[in-house]
Amino acid sequence: MHRSVVKVMALDPTVILNYWPLLVDGALLTLRLAAIAFVGGMLLGAVCATLSLLNYWPVRIVILVYLALMRGIPFIVIVFLIHFGLPSFGIRTQALVTGTVALTLYAGAYYAEIIRAAVLALPRGQWESARVIGMPPIAAARHVIIPQIISPSVPPIVNCTMTMIKESSILSAITVAELTYQGLVIQGNTFAPFEVFISLALIYWAITIAFSLLAWAYERRFGTASGRTSRMSPIAARYLDIEGKSGR
Amino acid sequence: MPRLMDAISVNFRIAFASILLAVLGGTLLTILRSFKIRALNVNIIVLISFIRGTPLLIQIFLIYYGLPALGLRLSPEAAGILALSLNSSVFVSEILRGSLPSIEDGQIEAATALGLSAGVIWGKIVLPQLFRKTLPMLINESTVVVKGTALLAVITVVETLRVAQQIGASTFRPFEPIIGAAILFLGLYVILTTLGWAVERRHAQERR
Repeated sequence: MHRSVVKVMALDPTVILNYWPLLVDGALLTLRLAAIAFVGGMLLGAVCATLSLLNYWPVRIVILVYLALMRGIPFIVIVFLIHFGLPSFGIRTQALVTGTVALTLYAGAYYAEIIRAAVLALPRGQWESARVIGMPPIAAARHVIIPQIISPSVPPIVNCTMTMIKESSILSAITVAELTYQGLVIQGNTFAPFEVFISLALIYWAITIAFSLLAWAYERRFGTASGRTSRMSPIAARYLDIEGKSGR
Repeated sequence: MPRLMDAISVNFRIAFASILLAVLGGTLLTILRSFKIRALNVNIIVLISFIRGTPLLIQIFLIYYGLPALGLRLSPEAAGILALSLNSSVFVSEILRGSLPSIEDGQIEAATALGLSAGVIWGKIVLPQLFRKTLPMLINESTVVVKGTALLAVITVVETLRVAQQIGASTFRPFEPIIGAAILFLGLYVILTTLGWAVERRHAQERR
């Protein structure tokens, strides 16, 4: 199949119009994967963060190693490790399951780090005072610690979840039929790489923008607007300000 | 294993080139944005949003498979370096932007009062401090780039993951070479983060 140079220059919308349903399926699976990784990852992250905050060193070391592995190894290598590793332990599952497990494990490590950092950022006395006035540990966590860590951890969690949506594209390498994989299938059928990959990019872009708008709305409603309170001098703003806000 | 060791140097080389280009590109983006030319900044913001909002894998595909449709054909390695450095430029420029307000106003005012040119103010006053302040974050960004090089296996760059897959295909034991690759990437990550810690500690000492 040889496309002439003249034709190549123009975008061919039929490529996308004909295969639209595949892309919708793929996008839905991508969203599903992200949702599972979010829920599973948050649970895993909360457990890991709690365990690593306990002063019990063997558990802490295990969790530290888990976090280092997830942060230090490229996600695509982690995916292949689990994909090829599970069968050699006698576990055979579908790529979809392997992929979900990989994404959840990966997300869990990053969420754990965020939750841990949020707890450590609290003044030390919070936990101790709650315990001293006789609150059992669970109540202290529920009524004192958790309410205070939610608001500061929302922005990094949103950021991290967007990363997970993007990283899920890597699961196409083990044939999980998410958005990127469907794109590769269409590309295999049509040989129109530019149209296909630009549409994929636009769909991912739309998903992440929708997501960040949601987060932005949340922050406007509940969050404290961060930023420099003092005004910058106009001369300094010429170099140090980028948005052009101080010029007003 | 020796083949994997050879291949990790390819990852290192690609990552190194991409990081250098990314710091250059990120700095350029930051300076361009500081001019506050509306039309230009709108374009830069859209570019930043696009690159942050789409997976690196798709960007790699777009550059390697998509650009030839527009008449630009690149070797796998060149396409990989272009994709990684373009992606990372955006993140570097966001890092630099985040630290810009931490430079004291008075320095710029003093420099302007002395009649120093914009080039001197950027090159001798703003950028040196900015790079020092953001060095730990830039090192962190470089670990992201190193991890990104593994993705280039999908566009046939013969790097560590690709070699591991080839070994797996020829020996019918895919798991062991992947473990080897994972260990090598982990090693690279540990070296870089140790470097980052060292830098941060030295900074903390200097500030005292």
